[in-house]
Amino acid sequence: MTAPLTTRYIEATVKSLPAHLQQDVRDELSGSIADAIESHIEQGALPADAEKAVLLELGDPSALAAGYADRPLHLIGPKYYLTWQRLLKILIVVIPLCAAGGTAIAKGLAGSSTIDVLLGAAGIALTTAVHVAFWVTVVFVILERTGTDLGLAWDPEQLPDPEAPSGGRVELGFELGFLALGAGALLWDRFIGFFRPGNETVSILNPGLWPWVISALLVILAVQAALAIAVHVKGRWTLSLAVINTVIALAFAAIVLTLISRGELINPEFVDRALTPNNVTIDADGSSVLTTLLTLGIAAATAWEIFDSWRKALGHNSPNRR
Amino acid sequence: MSTGEFDIHLQELRRGTIVLACLTLLSTPGYGYGLLEDLERIGFATDANTLYPLLRRLEKQGYLVSEWNTDEARPRKFYQTSDAGKRLEQALITEWRELNAAFSTLNDPAGPHAEEN
Repeated sequence: MTAPLTTRYIEATVKSLPAHLQQDVRDELSGSIADAIESHIEQGALPADAEKAVLLELGDPSALAAGYADRPLHLIGPKYYLTWQRLLKILIVVIPLCAAGGTAIAKGLAGSSTIDVLLGAAGIALTTAVHVAFWVTVVFVILERTGTDLGLAWDPEQLPDPEAPSGGRVELGFELGFLALGAGALLWDRFIGFFRPGNETVSILNPGLWPWVISALLVILAVQAALAIAVHVKGRWTLSLAVINTVIALAFAAIVLTLISRGELINPEFVDRALTPNNVTIDADGSSVLTTLLTLGIAAATAWEIFDSWRKALGHNSPNRR
Repeated sequence: MSTGEFDIHLQELRRGTIVLACLTLLSTPGYGYGLLEDLERIGFATDANTLYPLLRRLEKQGYLVSEWNTDEARPRKFYQTSDAGKRLEQALITEWRELNAAFSTLNDPAGPHAEEN
């Protein structure tokens, strides 16, 4: 009674099943289909029509196989969807931003044209975003199929508290003002100058850093301002804000410390004309007391900044500690 | 089975009753297609592509045991409710009766709030 269509149907069903199930399902399914065809014929159907009708009732063999193998017919189910979504939302912003920023800085330092820098950064941002989306999803698809428990349970303590903002308006204003002061100082140093022997601009920072490195620093300041506002609006440090803060702080430290170690941060002309006459020396290899102090200071400030955000993000559920 | 605007809700209400019907019917051994016809006849109409995987799942969970019968011309896999399956059956029946009682209270002419008065 086993006609070609039935054979094809059964093979299509069992081929994706685990080896130990295949023969058993094949035998049982061929019996069940034969029974059903027989019953259709008894009710007056033609054999060919009966076979087709029975297979149509059974439906797509892949769906039937998923039923036999207890496989989900969705990519990411409700157990993992929200975790996947939250993680992806953070990573798809943070990682492409870092990659684009890094590319822009590298290309800028290498002396590429503006168009080249922008296209390069945009290209990298797009590529990284696609990679992040793909790989994060792959991980969750695997989790969905292995049923791994992530141990993440929602807790009412995670609710943002609009009644108890982590920083008041004054604190926010102070922080934004400080950041604006930093941005202003960068631009002032470049265009007007803190040190003006004979009405001539001698910038403190290396003029070679303009425009790319200075722009990167300005972007970092802008992101820090956005972070401060986000913390104020949310009412507290969240894990995702702490992650962004960590990335930004590390990026700032990496840029500045690299420049210091290469002796490229400070304008050599400024050293010659302002510091050397006053017996302050900065060597090209960055070994002077001043550069050492600067390095240690930046490292300590970065470490504190990161530590503080994580402390507030993780410890927020005891408001007294704030 | 009725069709139309209520399909989704009716399906949701029926889901799970098939398990109870199978566990009860299979107190005497039965095979796939035969069980499908029995269910249909009694009024638990279900699709073959739902029932066949369900029987495997219940067997894997230990609520059914199976045995190949090769005495007849067509070999068939016969399923039967196990002891664990019988306990599951009892638990489901108890739950069903409690739900039924709850619905009776809900539809009592005195109203579901009768006890409060």
